Amino acid sequence: MVILAVPTFGTGGLNELLNPRFGRCDSFTFITIEKGNIKEVRTVSNSASGAMGGAGIQAAQIVGNNGAKELVAGFLGPNAAQSLSALNIKIYQAPNQQVTVKQCIELYLQGKLLEMNSANVGAHYGMGPGMGGGRGMGRGAGRGMGRRDQF
Amino acid sequence: MPKKPIIICVTGGKGGTGKTFVAVNLAIMFKNNGNEVLLIDGDVENPNTFLLMGAQLENKKEVPYFVPKIIEEKCNKCGLCAKNCVAHALLHIENSFPIPMLTVCTGCKLCYKICPEEAIEADSKVMGWIYNTQINNISLFIGELKPSEARSATIVEALMEDLDEIIRNEPEKFDIIILDTAPGAHCDVELLISKADIVIPVTEPTKFGEIDLTRIIELIDLIKKDYRTIVNRSSLLGFRDEFLKNLKENNIHILGDIPFDEDIVSSYCQGLPLMDQSNKFKHTKGYKAFQIIFKELDNWLKSKQIEITG
Repeated sequence: MVILAVPTFGTGGLNELLNPRFGRCDSFTFITIEKGNIKEVRTVSNSASGAMGGAGIQAAQIVGNNGAKELVAGFLGPNAAQSLSALNIKIYQAPNQQVTVKQCIELYLQGKLLEMNSANVGAHYGMGPGMGGGRGMGRGAGRGMGRRDQF
Repeated sequence: MPKKPIIICVTGGKGGTGKTFVAVNLAIMFKNNGNEVLLIDGDVENPNTFLLMGAQLENKKEVPYFVPKIIEEKCNKCGLCAKNCVAHALLHIENSFPIPMLTVCTGCKLCYKICPEEAIEADSKVMGWIYNTQINNISLFIGELKPSEARSATIVEALMEDLDEIIRNEPEKFDIIILDTAPGAHCDVELLISKADIVIPVTEPTKFGEIDLTRIIELIDLIKKDYRTIVNRSSLLGFRDEFLKNLKENNIHILGDIPFDEDIVSSYCQGLPLMDQSNKFKHTKGYKAFQIIFKELDNWLKSKQIEITG
């Protein structure tokens, strides 16, 4: 059994669209998957969506607190990537086109989603209303993740 | 009343206008006049007064910066630290230990203070260094931010703590203290300006120089300090008179101007201060201009003295 988190628009749910913004999505849809089948769907609103700063960290906290071990994400900032990594949450790159949560799960179950290893946008990328078209979610533009030993 | 050093802050908004050049040469002129001088380099991202003075970086002192360290044996995983962290620099998942996210930690110590289990230790990391050296009878404090770190104000604050300590414990040690700031009108610069008795912004006769000067004067006015501007390389582009007239029309106080002089560039490149007693540059245009400026500065300080006592 695995719980997969998907950042969503509105109140979330299987028929809602995947929100490419991670830290500042409206809601998270948590899908429990067992033996290749959807067992349970839960939605949680993202209290970090309007945060001044640190939205990625708070959103990662919500994902972690809801037991998710895997996540599908569009744009992921450096703090979010670092937080998710610290929580050992596996990250999959969202598909290049707009998809509903349901379509996303299908791709996930077919093994068609790629794993993502680092942030793909800079800090504060998803801030502010509307973030332009920007669909080209290139990889490796972000800073490295993983916990750098800073003590 | 006990004697107190006069603190002069050399700043300027725009980068590369000659702040360090002015600061270093003012320090040398005050020293030549028999004053005890301390020069503080507050451009902590590019500290290079020592290069211009031919000094070495000596007596390195680390500037520590608080970072939280979770003592897992004591932590009861309550998450109070994470809930109250304004910067969201503690990642907490129910029933697990909080994880410090040091890249966003502001070092405020709130977590350390509020932890009911005293499970957060005040650990530290090195944010940068302070050097304390002497060259040709001028004392030099230099701050350096560690490359890759962002909190330069921490280093400037540490420099200012050292300055406060000197004023508190040895108020008669120095007659003149000169503060050299970074370019810009940000908090590092503000910290230094707010310590000063008078401020000297250095600019150049370009549009960039003018706009950045306006910004720094806005900051100086906000801190309510008295200032007078030096226009450096004034002859460079043939706009000297027009530029000075423009400043006057905008009620910007002027201390003087220094013409462009290849000998200044030469002194700069060789790390030999223009006003050094070696007098190698004594007959240059720059030397003479600097002497006039120093005289004006002296008059300014005298007039301030009268204001203070009268």
